[in-house]
Amino acid sequence: MRFRTVLIALALAGGGMTASKAGPAVKGDPAKGEALMAERCAACHGPDGNSPVPNFPKLAGQHAEYLLHEIREYQEHHRESDLMQPVVQGLGEADMADLAVFLAAQKPAPGNVTAPSLLALGKKVYLEGNSGTGVPSCEGCHEEDGHGSARFPRVAGQNVEYTLEQFRIYSAGKRPYGKKVMRTVAERLSEEEARAVAEYMASLP
Amino acid sequence: MKPALPFLLLAGLTATCLPAGANSSDRNTELPAALALKGSPEQGKVAYEICCGCHNRDGSGRSKAGYPRLAGQHATVLIKQMTDIRSGQRQNPKMHPFVDKDVVPAEDIAHIAAYLAGLPEPGGNGKGDGRQLPRGKVLYDKDCAVCHGSNGEGNAEKFIPRVAGQHYDYLLRAGKAIQAATGNRRDADPDMVRAIGSYTYKDIAAVSDYMSRLSHPAP
Repeated sequence: MRFRTVLIALALAGGGMTASKAGPAVKGDPAKGEALMAERCAACHGPDGNSPVPNFPKLAGQHAEYLLHEIREYQEHHRESDLMQPVVQGLGEADMADLAVFLAAQKPAPGNVTAPSLLALGKKVYLEGNSGTGVPSCEGCHEEDGHGSARFPRVAGQNVEYTLEQFRIYSAGKRPYGKKVMRTVAERLSEEEARAVAEYMASLP
Repeated sequence: MKPALPFLLLAGLTATCLPAGANSSDRNTELPAALALKGSPEQGKVAYEICCGCHNRDGSGRSKAGYPRLAGQHATVLIKQMTDIRSGQRQNPKMHPFVDKDVVPAEDIAHIAAYLAGLPEPGGNGKGDGRQLPRGKVLYDKDCAVCHGSNGEGNAEKFIPRVAGQHYDYLLRAGKAIQAATGNRRDADPDMVRAIGSYTYKDIAAVSDYMSRLSHPAP
């Protein structure tokens, strides 16, 4: 077994994304990450993580901590996907870190808004939530510009269909490590609000 | 063993007196432990992020949405309210999932409270229409100041919230809920329930408006 001195944010492995202690920054080799990307991921997510397919998430510019966390979630079957599971199964800790740091450094391409008429409602939901139904604003965690943080993912420029699919998955309880937070949000969003906010996220640079 | 029997009797009585929908398991049992934890404002700032979607980054709340201002509130009050909501003593279905035990660890409750208590008072809170302020002052001085302080400063040791500068809409909603006592605010202080027991809606509105205009230096 090769020994590689790669530090990984283990703090995120067992805990939820809401723990108040941030782990150490992810360290990896972006050049190795780029090679792995071309070999395993590019067909769906694009060579630089700017997925051309609406159903697949854009990963370029995503936070390394989040990417690492999600790959692990797939490996451990906390997050289920017939497509993702076989691809991530053979990845070691160092491989995952390499991929995460490579993708985090890529420039996200502009998002694709598919229903501009919904942007006004989407902006309102994103910035204010819906106090009638108890939807918090999105900007509280994902930041006003949608760029997120080490604890909460970037949503700016994300593919609309992917975001909508995640709302459905959350409200079905199939991304349980997000605890109750995103599940609750997804359950409370109306179908129109969900689509509108996904469009607004896509519109954010 | 001596206190066991009276305690059981009391517990049984309480259970039979509980309003519909309540159960005896919703007492706030984690309060003493939560109060004993040492809160770190630095860690609280991070843990508080999941609250910002409603209460805002500066703890200013959202007036029209009815979300209270938390900046400058006593840490003890914040800890009691968060744990009351977790236990179901204070029923707040909107907030409950976001403060539940598997979302916010006990130590984060203390951290969040320490962080919020130290935040400066944000400007521009929501106020009432200002028409009943003299009435509000009379009621406040007569019934409220004895516990909440003449300037609305509250009392950290007695878990009495600071009300000065709170949003009018929130004060009105909380006042109505506490007056009802049997509903979603079973955690309400019995003295408080008695003090406003005979208030009309207009009385609660007048005193809420008055409190929203009180100010005093942050603790």
